[in-house]
Amino acid sequence: MTPRSPSSAPERTPAAAAAPTAPPKVPPVLSVRDVRIGDRAGHREVVHGVSFGLTPGKAVGVVGESGSGKTLTCRAVLGILPRHFEITGGSVEIAGTDITTLTPSRWTELRGATISAVFQDPASYLNPSIRVGAQIAEVLRVKTGLKRRQARHRAVELLRAVRLRDPALVYGQYPHELSGGMLQRVLIATAVAAGPRVLIADEATTALDVTVQAEILDLLDELREESGLALVVVSHDLAVVAQICDEVLVMRQGEVVEQGPAHEVLHHPRHPYTRLLVAEHEQYGLDRFLDPTEASS
Amino acid sequence: MTTTALPTVPDEYRAAAAARVRHTLGRVLGVLARSVAIFVPVFLVATFVTFALRSLSGLSPARIQLGEDATPEAIQRIEAQWGLDRPFLAQYGDWITGVLHGELGTSWVNGADISTLIGLGLGVSLSIATFALLIGVVAGFALGTLAALRPTTPIDRAITGVVTVISVMPPFVVGIVLVAVLAVGLDLFPSAGYVPAEEGIGPWLAHITLPALALSCDVVADVARQLRTGLVAARDENYVTGAVVRGLSPRRIFLGHVLRNGIGPALATLGLKFPALVGASVVTEWIFGLQGFGRFANDSAQAGDVPAVQGVLVVSIALVVSFNLIVNLVLARVTPASQRGM
Repeated sequence: MTPRSPSSAPERTPAAAAAPTAPPKVPPVLSVRDVRIGDRAGHREVVHGVSFGLTPGKAVGVVGESGSGKTLTCRAVLGILPRHFEITGGSVEIAGTDITTLTPSRWTELRGATISAVFQDPASYLNPSIRVGAQIAEVLRVKTGLKRRQARHRAVELLRAVRLRDPALVYGQYPHELSGGMLQRVLIATAVAAGPRVLIADEATTALDVTVQAEILDLLDELREESGLALVVVSHDLAVVAQICDEVLVMRQGEVVEQGPAHEVLHHPRHPYTRLLVAEHEQYGLDRFLDPTEASS
Repeated sequence: MTTTALPTVPDEYRAAAAARVRHTLGRVLGVLARSVAIFVPVFLVATFVTFALRSLSGLSPARIQLGEDATPEAIQRIEAQWGLDRPFLAQYGDWITGVLHGELGTSWVNGADISTLIGLGLGVSLSIATFALLIGVVAGFALGTLAALRPTTPIDRAITGVVTVISVMPPFVVGIVLVAVLAVGLDLFPSAGYVPAEEGIGPWLAHITLPALALSCDVVADVARQLRTGLVAARDENYVTGAVVRGLSPRRIFLGHVLRNGIGPALATLGLKFPALVGASVVTEWIFGLQGFGRFANDSAQAGDVPAVQGVLVVSIALVVSFNLIVNLVLARVTPASQRGM
């Protein structure tokens, strides 16, 4: 499906193996324990227990088909579950704080500064009536207390940091004047503006074409390495997750069917569904057409 | 601009500022140019139709001055005096030149200068229309916002109910009720007449309050409904979720993001309401005994005074067109994305 399919993963595995995810010495910035989400209207459980821990500089991937509960899990962690949905069991701790103890104002404080997120369809997550630079500057002013002028400066720097060409020009543009890839970069700049410790990327590259997708993933990876940002990467595409994650969760119909280190899940999938996902990549991925012998091995 | 390697920070900043200024200027000029490109033809066509009114109606100053049993020669002589025997386009050319210079010609009925007559009435009518708009905007925004902040609650339902009721009440009914209750019953306001603002703000306000209230009902209702719908829709947009995730406070999100994007339809409605206000003033001015623009329009039409009616129409067109131009510019400023494809 993408040029960066599982066959490029082996290059990464030594690094992943050298840094084992098992017992982290540093306290986790995000810990999700057996989270269950219920639909209040239908009185049924839609997510049946998701657990993972995330320490600074690590990345955890969540893979699964649409409707498998990936996005609901993310939204639960961010405290923005849609109406009628609620966490019915388990716990979420952000930087040591249980989210059930958070008041609305504490939530406001925490979001952006400690935990942030980017989503699919970046255009819709930016205010269409405000210049993109001003939206970044707004976050900087509110969350980090910068003055107007400093915030403007810093926003241009951030736009440069997400490798937008001519950041000064982009600063003054409206979302409808930018392309999808540029908007996703802007959205990432906005999300990391206040220096969060956890970034949730929910299908952040799904709507982008493959080369842009690879660039965005590189960018996220770079942020992770440079600033110790912890990532939760959600995708229906195994290749995306394989590219940057240390740990992978495979979800299906609200259930975590397989969980473990990325290379383990990719190379020795245990659950039939994971095997299906890997097999599909081998069967339909571009590598098969480029180098059939390697892909079938 | 920023392609040079490692630009220094002040340079960068200045470049950004310059780019922004250029951008804004370009955008404003673009909107202005597009608006003018639309409104100039509208104005020309509308005035052309307005001027064709005389030929179409077959009215003549001779009928007014000489009565029913004038000889054809006498009629011809009078019409020649008014220049009506000249080719249509030449007449239009002269008239539109005069209009552009602010001269609307002389009345067939009494030979008075129409610009002066309209100027007198316009002061009254614009005072009332502006005040009505102000009431409409303030009350409409308050009610719409309140309803949108508490959607589906009893507050929202009550506001929707009240707004629906006042939207179906015609201004002349409201006007009569207001006079009966507030002027005659409680003696709070004068029931009729007008005092110019130069003779005291207090009396001026007292005289225009009741007619403005009567006219504003419709505006209040429409603005409130459009704003509520716009805000409720904007609240569910992804960029609101985006703003929440960035850790902005609910207050800031509402004022900076929801209101900004939800306000468009309400503003556009205001643009539509203005012509209605001008139209409704005819009836309202009768009720409140005001010698305004609407009353003048009505009297001129009754008398068959074609130049006066043409003058009234030209002024109305100019008012409506410029008001819409203002609304468009404000819309372009508030919601730039709405200008795509205009």
